[in-house]
Amino acid sequence: MKDWKLLAAGCGLDLPEEELARINAVMEALEAAFRPLACTIPMEVEPAVTFACPPEENP
Amino acid sequence: MTILEAAAALRARKVSSIELTRAALERISQLDGTLRAFITVMEESALSRARLADEELARGIDHGPLHGIPVAVKDLFLTRGVPTTAGSKLFADHVSDHDAAVVEKLTQAGAVLVGKTNLHELAYGITSANPHFGVVRNPRDPERIPGGSSGGSAAAVAADMVFMALGTDTGGSIRIPASFCGTVGLKPTYGRVSRYGVMPLGFSLDHVGPLARSVRDAAVVLQALAGYDPRDETSGREPVPDYLPPQNPSLEGLRVGLPQNFYFDRVEEDVSAAVRAAAEAAEKLGARVMPVRVPDIAALNTVARIILYAEASAVMEPHMHRRGEFGADVRALLEQGRLVAAADYVNAQRLRRMLQQEFRALLKQVDCLLTPTTPTAAPRHGEFSIDIRGRHDDVRLASTRLVRGVNPLGLPALSLPAGLDRQGLPVSMQLIGRPFEEALLMRVAAALEVALPPFPALSTKSMESSSAR
Repeated sequence: MKDWKLLAAGCGLDLPEEELARINAVMEALEAAFRPLACTIPMEVEPAVTFACPPEENP
Repeated sequence: MTILEAAAALRARKVSSIELTRAALERISQLDGTLRAFITVMEESALSRARLADEELARGIDHGPLHGIPVAVKDLFLTRGVPTTAGSKLFADHVSDHDAAVVEKLTQAGAVLVGKTNLHELAYGITSANPHFGVVRNPRDPERIPGGSSGGSAAAVAADMVFMALGTDTGGSIRIPASFCGTVGLKPTYGRVSRYGVMPLGFSLDHVGPLARSVRDAAVVLQALAGYDPRDETSGREPVPDYLPPQNPSLEGLRVGLPQNFYFDRVEEDVSAAVRAAAEAAEKLGARVMPVRVPDIAALNTVARIILYAEASAVMEPHMHRRGEFGADVRALLEQGRLVAAADYVNAQRLRRMLQQEFRALLKQVDCLLTPTTPTAAPRHGEFSIDIRGRHDDVRLASTRLVRGVNPLGLPALSLPAGLDRQGLPVSMQLIGRPFEEALLMRVAAALEVALPPFPALSTKSMESSSAR
């Protein structure tokens, strides 16, 4: 589990405790959803960095 | 009156553009004290533009169906000489020396720009309760949110202030307000409409599209906006087809996918019933409604959030030292984005590619998907959680749940009113299609629009009493 408060401090975010608590809850939930997904990516999959959405050739 | 009806009346000399524009300005003056749909009203330039439109039509110069029609754009589109605030205090005095590509296109099409609409600050949220430019209210019930971030555009169209307003959609920001206010809202394919001159939020997720009173009006607007623009690196070169569907299109032979998982799982009964009734109507019109299983939309939503958090925070990095000037909700989102690890952003983009492939496979089996747009009708202002079938849900997460995933896929999606719930509030359906197949979505939506019962007229009496801008 990541310590989001420490990470926030490390990123130079000087935030009130209340705001940190709110961000912590959101990021923890997002992390819990994302981490298992990230572990399923086959090595050969490249990122959609330059995203394109070409039309179907044979719909 | 729709754009196409007004266009016919203009050409039959039954009405002039000046009259339409004065009526729009009068309506704004009557209602905007309550609705706060506009940040800037451009009265003088609109009237001058309308005069020109009338003169041109009299001389036989006709720029097409938008010629002389009063429209608005979200205050996120650059307009030469007129402030573009993005709904933010940071940009309150920002005046561009050029127009966004879509503003140029509206001008070329002869449209009359009457103003720039209010929005959720920086287009980053779904309430449009803007702390700097006023809380946008839903014309169907001013106690409720209009949705966002294009809340002002939806309110302006729903309240008959303008015939059409442009919005942007990064995680549902056209379709959510269209759903809550009961208008048509179209998010075209990524690359179909130029983003040049649009203040970015998440550059790989941002889309530009119309909110309009009818499907055919949305088609007319897309016709004017679509096309390649070398100034936008992600602009598509695909040819622009004829988008305007016939008056009573047939759905014979079309395969409409009705999801059996995710999309109806946490949705209010009235919404579910209205969308299922639309599916039955599609079947009666000749479509084959096929049960389908969709890929992991929850995963897609997670991917979309990671990408948006990172991109939005990257865009706003130069302004983060002025954190006191952001509204609390937007500031929190921007701060969260700074905590997304680079590896996670890259992996989200890899997952995006994988999910895109899964959707491509699904859209080989069917021509489009039919889903609800939002799981509920418009929530009340100040409501942070809503009850859906006995389960509490965060308003922002619930409102974006069924629409956000389409943005990383880049697919075209259209929101169309499906009816009213038991409280008399609009509920809507979403049609999702294959890349660059907006014309097919228009055809299905136009057929359903005719087949479903029309909305009762909007009563604005309560809004008029407390307005006076």
